[in-house]
Amino acid sequence: MKKLSRILWLIIVSLTFASCGDDLPIDQQETGDFTNGYFVTNEGPFGTGTGTITFINDNETIVQNAYKTVNNEDLGNIVNSMTIHNNTVFIVVNNSHKVVVASRHSMEKITIIEGDDIKNPRNLVVVGDKAYVSNWGNASVATDDFITVIDLTDNTVSSTIPVGQGPEDMLVVGSKIYVNLQGGYSQNNKVAVIDTTTDTVSSTIIVGDAPNSLVKDNDGAIWVLCGGNPTPWTGATFVETNGKLIKIVNDAVDLTLDFGLNHPKHLTINDTNLMYNLNGQVYATANTATDLSTTALNGLDGYHHAMKAHNGLLYTTNAGNFTSEGTLKISDLNDNNSEVNTITTGIIPGSIVF
Amino acid sequence: MKNLLFLFIISISSYAQNDSINLLDEVKLHGNFSKKLNAGFNIQTITDSVINSTTQSLGDLLQQHANIYFKEHGNGMVKSISFRGSGASHTGVYWNSIAINSALNGQTDFNTLSANGFNQVEIRKGAGSTLFGSGAIGGAINLKDNITFIKKKQFRTNIGLASYNTQNLSFQSVISDNQFYIKVNIEGEKADNEYPFLDTEIYNENAAYKNYQIKSALAYKLNQNNQIKLFTNYSNNYRELSRTITAPSNNLYKNTDNRLLLNWSNTGFKHNANLNLAILSENYKFYLDKNIDNYSSGETDSYLLKYDFDYFLKKNQNVTIGIENRLTKGIGSSIQKKERNIFETYIRYHQKTLNKLTYNVSLRKGFSNVYEIPLIYALDARLDISTNFNLRANHSSNYKLPTFNDLYWEISGNEELLPENSISSEIGFYYQSKKLNTNIAAYQIKNNNLIQWQPVTSTLWQPNNVQSVTQKGLEFEMDYQFKIKQHQFKTFLQYSLTKAIDNSSNKQLIYVPVRKATGNLSYLYKGFNFNYNQQYTSHVFTTTTNTQYLEKFWISNIRLNKTILHNTINIGFYINNLLNKNYQIVAYRPMPNRNYKLNINIKF
Repeated sequence: MKKLSRILWLIIVSLTFASCGDDLPIDQQETGDFTNGYFVTNEGPFGTGTGTITFINDNETIVQNAYKTVNNEDLGNIVNSMTIHNNTVFIVVNNSHKVVVASRHSMEKITIIEGDDIKNPRNLVVVGDKAYVSNWGNASVATDDFITVIDLTDNTVSSTIPVGQGPEDMLVVGSKIYVNLQGGYSQNNKVAVIDTTTDTVSSTIIVGDAPNSLVKDNDGAIWVLCGGNPTPWTGATFVETNGKLIKIVNDAVDLTLDFGLNHPKHLTINDTNLMYNLNGQVYATANTATDLSTTALNGLDGYHHAMKAHNGLLYTTNAGNFTSEGTLKISDLNDNNSEVNTITTGIIPGSIVF
Repeated sequence: MKNLLFLFIISISSYAQNDSINLLDEVKLHGNFSKKLNAGFNIQTITDSVINSTTQSLGDLLQQHANIYFKEHGNGMVKSISFRGSGASHTGVYWNSIAINSALNGQTDFNTLSANGFNQVEIRKGAGSTLFGSGAIGGAINLKDNITFIKKKQFRTNIGLASYNTQNLSFQSVISDNQFYIKVNIEGEKADNEYPFLDTEIYNENAAYKNYQIKSALAYKLNQNNQIKLFTNYSNNYRELSRTITAPSNNLYKNTDNRLLLNWSNTGFKHNANLNLAILSENYKFYLDKNIDNYSSGETDSYLLKYDFDYFLKKNQNVTIGIENRLTKGIGSSIQKKERNIFETYIRYHQKTLNKLTYNVSLRKGFSNVYEIPLIYALDARLDISTNFNLRANHSSNYKLPTFNDLYWEISGNEELLPENSISSEIGFYYQSKKLNTNIAAYQIKNNNLIQWQPVTSTLWQPNNVQSVTQKGLEFEMDYQFKIKQHQFKTFLQYSLTKAIDNSSNKQLIYVPVRKATGNLSYLYKGFNFNYNQQYTSHVFTTTTNTQYLEKFWISNIRLNKTILHNTINIGFYINNLLNKNYQIVAYRPMPNRNYKLNINIKF
């Protein structure tokens, strides 16, 4: 009798586990090996091979190649970015022209979105039950760049929105999306504003040259960091231009801070401090300042390949020689930028995703 | 007694005559790649009948017959050489002794260079910058036209049909008499090249290529002592750059090479002089998207003057002095319009003592308007212990000059670069008998100031003289042949062990297999030839930290040939990758599955 009850218990327990675990559709899973922690996307070697995802657990155990470990397939060539939305991740694979959708908790693949409406995809943001993907289109063509609108109820493309050349980073503010038009392989100097209620470009704001990153501060202002045009090559139709940090309020330029002929990148915000990488050093300028900070922060030097502030910590990546594993360095901004940890990543770590 | 006297007189006079003939013969044989002048080196020669048995690239020919590792970016795509673990620009490639490596990147693409039409391909393992100049660090390869002034008319055509819709056609004619020689070789090949990637649903898309090449050799014998020769070599290549397993491609690469060489050779009783004037042009266009007329490009023109003078002090003792001036002009969408002039001079002393020891000593010094070129030296020697056994050794310093891309690539190029330098040593022995030949070599190459492109900032990469690499290796070669009545068997086996270590990380260089072997078995019977070729390549690392690698692979190829109609027609049927192995030479670029070729070679 005792034996029987134990067996019965076993059956009940296993049924319970089965019903809340394996039987759940992947996109409804709520816990898993990858629930507690954050990710680094690794572009992978250029030209051949595959990008990967590094997972860093809260207790700092690390899973390299997380997606392949779970799904036994490569993500594809040049993993450019990843977006977490509820229980799902969207991994944007640039050179393979696809968006891989997987469970945030188990990394199990849900679907792959690809086809003619995903071409040289760069980044993805979610507004309501729609996702928006910035695409260069054909990188040799200046006029075919677009934003793909994806219906998240069935992960299919519902429409595309033509934009100017080289859409890159996007920022969601309410029902609007601000899209940096960096220029792709060429040059551009605009931010396109997309109204997601109509899925059209509602306005275009002229900013500095080559806008490469953008954030929103606590006051609701949008800050766009423009790298400026680089040193031109022979026959180029542009000249080198100044880097700029531009504040946008009510879809208009409110303030322009000028870096001269320097080329900042990787704008990120830590509380009220706008942080960026300039000439191999990290600077912080307050969002109330009317001049750029002239003092670099100690202990954060390097030409970081990616940089992100999160909960008082600064995460910077180093791609090393670009053919082997890179590193992620975590520094405590509240403790004199002291190093908290350095973690080995995949090849060319290109973004940090929380 | 009378007979004996007669014999004596004959031999005396023939000896006297021999002396001059020998000198002349020796003079004629004195290519810089001749075994005679490379006493301390292993020289392998691939002969006309092998080269011209089918239409093939130089890379395919060498892969089949010499145990050299090539890094090939998929079938028909860019194929670069790695000799003794050295980099793609560390093998000198020569066309009738004129260096033809690209001035832009210092490399040669062995898939666009065709072997057809040449009479000899000479492979010299080991460093040789004092004789050959920049880049001959791992080894050197010479494509050679042998010109003979005999009455001859020969026409040859080769038709090839192969898998993946591959077709090639070549035509060669040689007409010569005792004063005049002309050879023309025209060939073309095209292929869809869309083979399946095994174990996937993907095909090798965007991989089509078509190329044609025209070569000629024209020679005129002015008199017993003077010859004028004119060589031309034109090649035109259209090549889509194929997809990988993970990403599609629309890339297209077009390039042409145009080479012209005028040679005047003058031989006297005690000297041999060669004047070479050459123009070498290269240009390429790279299209990111083959459907859009928007490309990046580069081109160079090099003007070369090379003069070599051999003087015989005695029969087995000679001095060679040479000068070489090369002016290169380059321009491109990412290359500033630049000129570089290099003047080099060398001297070599060659002696064979008492028929036992042969040795060479040489020095070379170069001057350039761009950088300092170091003085380099070489010593090599062979000791003939018996008629079938010898020992050899060589030791040399060598350099490779920075390329146009290294120096002048816009914004990134570094005009402060120094030549890369290396010290190379080798010992070997050779055993030969009627049936068996064996060659063993051990070498070490220490490279310093190797140029590496490194990220300076996250967007700016620059070349710098930073890397130090040590290569050590062993090479084993054996061939064995025997005959049972009319059944002839020929085999060879070549094996190499290569350690190429980056001295700063102590790791093996990427894409250098530690072990590589090539085995070949031929069976010949009455115009029938069966050939089995086996290739082995051990794993190669794909990350500089040696954390990722490509699997080792064994590939087998067979060839069946039959000559008919009094040896005028040779029909061949080839099967490559017989066992249908899925293998990669470059990561994510699978090589072809089992494939077939029908080859018809007609002489008339």
